[in-house]
Amino acid sequence: MPTAEAVAVRDGHIVEVGTLATMAPWLDNYAHQVDDTFIDHVIMPGFIDPHLHPSMAAVLLPMEFTTVVEWDLPWSEIGAVSGRVELLDRLMELDADLEPEAPLFAWGHHPIWHGEVDREALNEISATRPIIVWHRGYHSLIVNDACYRWMNIDLDAARRHPQVDVEKGAFFETGLGFAYRYMNSFLLGTERFRAGLDRMRQVIHHGGQTTIGDAAMGMYGFEEEWEHLKAVMERPDTPFRIQLMPFEMGLGGEGESDEAMIERVLSYPQRNTHRLRFSDHVKMFADGGFFAELLMLKSPGHLDGRHGEWMTPPERFEQVARSFWNAGLKIHVHCSGDLGVEMTLSTLEKLQWERPRFDHRFTFEHFGISSAQQVARMAEVGALASVNAYYVYELSRAFADHTLGYERASQMSRLGSLERAGVRFAVHSDFTMAPAKPLNNAWVAANRLNEAGEVMCPNERASLDAALKAITCNAAYVLGLEDEIGSLRWGKRADFTILEADPYDVGAEALRDIPIWGTVFEGEKFPI
Amino acid sequence: MTSPDGLVPVTVLGGYLGAGKTTLVNNLLTNDHGRRLAVLVNDFGAVNIDVDLIVSHDGETISLENGCVCCSISDALGDSLDRVLALDPQPDQIVIEASGVADPTKIASYGYGWPGCRLDAVIVLADVETIQDRAKDQFVGELIIRQLRGADLVLATKSDLVGEDALNSVICWAAEIAAVPVTPISHGAIDPKIVLDLSSCDRDASWDPQTSHDANSLKAAEDMFETATLALSRPLDRSRLEEALTLWPQDVMRAKGIVRFSEACDCGAELHVVQRVGLRWSIEPTLPEINLEDSGGQLMVVARRGAVDAASLISDLVDG
Repeated sequence: MPTAEAVAVRDGHIVEVGTLATMAPWLDNYAHQVDDTFIDHVIMPGFIDPHLHPSMAAVLLPMEFTTVVEWDLPWSEIGAVSGRVELLDRLMELDADLEPEAPLFAWGHHPIWHGEVDREALNEISATRPIIVWHRGYHSLIVNDACYRWMNIDLDAARRHPQVDVEKGAFFETGLGFAYRYMNSFLLGTERFRAGLDRMRQVIHHGGQTTIGDAAMGMYGFEEEWEHLKAVMERPDTPFRIQLMPFEMGLGGEGESDEAMIERVLSYPQRNTHRLRFSDHVKMFADGGFFAELLMLKSPGHLDGRHGEWMTPPERFEQVARSFWNAGLKIHVHCSGDLGVEMTLSTLEKLQWERPRFDHRFTFEHFGISSAQQVARMAEVGALASVNAYYVYELSRAFADHTLGYERASQMSRLGSLERAGVRFAVHSDFTMAPAKPLNNAWVAANRLNEAGEVMCPNERASLDAALKAITCNAAYVLGLEDEIGSLRWGKRADFTILEADPYDVGAEALRDIPIWGTVFEGEKFPI
Repeated sequence: MTSPDGLVPVTVLGGYLGAGKTTLVNNLLTNDHGRRLAVLVNDFGAVNIDVDLIVSHDGETISLENGCVCCSISDALGDSLDRVLALDPQPDQIVIEASGVADPTKIASYGYGWPGCRLDAVIVLADVETIQDRAKDQFVGELIIRQLRGADLVLATKSDLVGEDALNSVICWAAEIAAVPVTPISHGAIDPKIVLDLSSCDRDASWDPQTSHDANSLKAAEDMFETATLALSRPLDRSRLEEALTLWPQDVMRAKGIVRFSEACDCGAELHVVQRVGLRWSIEPTLPEINLEDSGGQLMVVARRGAVDAASLISDLVDG
């Protein structure tokens, strides 16, 4: 990567990058100050996470974290919780610390690591405090008797529900909707939601990000979220901007024609504020979530014979994608499994055949399971990828054992193939699926070490260059903002992430350990 | 018969895109069958209702002059259910149009256990022209099979668009996969007793050919089934009833009743509600709010005309 010694900034934009000597024509003509705050630091282009979910985070961040991996959050460092006894002990500690009566929401339970937890076990922790144990992948909830009382739940109806086990206190899949009925007014209450969103604000800054993409704005209600985002994020002390992609795109419904939908999407930028911005990017959904194990797979399918889900009917997907494509919009598609990738890719191939487009920015989001052959076809039709590399760290061993078998699990989130094929890619956190720490995601991308300490398919590692581009210039490209952010060049926004060490000195292995001093957003310093 | 448990029966309509769910929904909403239905749909725009029949339209809900309402499933299905359950008067029955890629058995769990509801039936529609091709499709083939396997009853739609041999072949194919009754229909015309819970069919109304789109096909649809209702003169033997419910052939589409058993039940209830949809049946205790005087109760059976004698199925339970 090119390097420089100085960057000249004016009105939030870069004037020139180079050395004090090469900048002389500017410095001679304008009054200026030389600021050497970062003389012993490394100035990187401001980090970009093109795909995360502030609203989901706003629901989750007020909760306690009890996952099998550690979390470094701005307000606390949370250790990993592995094992059933450890989980129950942690809940006991959390119960002792909380004010009486406050419900204890603990997010992060996963049976693979924590075994089965039930109502009786939670009753032993507290007979009076509502306790809710929330699955890592939003798959189930487990509650105690105090929680039943707090919810004022209809237990007769719960007993009839095939995916509610009243004795065990467990709500699965569609049973979750049943539980949310009694919890949503609490979880989505304005005060709690905005406090969660404010925590999200801290998390983004803490990770060194100066631009993020909200890849499903409106999942809890478009206008409500817009008001919350404006109230919490659009403030002078928020050191980042949010690129918004509306949620309902491509799901159809409400009797709206595709033309009307496109017109509506294209009208959103009229409401843009300084930090909150819509553009002409749209989000579509192929198959179900990766953490939730609802990905659609080609043969040989899931290890346990389970089935994934389509989030959009393939015919409808093609029809909506065609409308977006022909209107010149930039399409991003959530796809988790190789059958989801196949459906998305075959649609893109068809659209390229019907009406060829250059620079269309069609982006495969998440990209959990794919084949090398699919990557070659993606290159042919000019696709991009925005990859959740972190899957490898947290899920590759567990999915090898329980979901996919070793070969496919070891190759999840393939990046080496993308790089060799010349497919431009970003890495994202999909926070709270992965920590909102671009350096950590780049570290997984370049090393493919998992939480069990194994290197999974070294051939699919990204080079250090590609891993760093995946959180800077290529992430900007995926968002369509490469002329504004993503690198240090005249005319771009003065967005920097300030590191305490040079990634090229410490090497790929130590990327995630590089301390972050803070950021510069549009020329203003924001230390962490 | 009013719903003896106070719960509103929920019917789930499943099937892939183009299977004919919307046509059936349109018919259910606008025909004069005398029931107040609340129909929850994914795509509001596709429901094409004659404006003369609409009383009010408030964005998420259309109210019709026959007492039916149609609501869009905007975000969460549970919220939509709560919305229609809160209507006054409460609907006689709720029909949920599942999305084309939904596994209807998952949607059915809302019917089983949403407060105020109980599942009536999962009815899956299959387009006879396309379903066998779709079942081989690389993207949706497995889903098509899963949808059929989740059904209590399968309706083979657009049956007038293929020849008799082809129709029979598709029906046999679907019946083998689904292992439940498969009934051909066209233009969404089906006897309401097949689609709806029998307890909401108490007015013995049927499709009014005057308001229907295709009087002949509706008449034919009604002629396909016969209904037998029998007042039971004395309590039934429970094991004999259970055996019958298990063994009755696929030609019995539905059965419903309130019965008394000759031996006291552990649960202490005197009366039980019996239901059978397709091959799935249940016997649930119920409170004695319904005045049966001293009789043994009553039982209603809907069966394919000519295939079985519905009346004798019931009388066999009592005789001997």
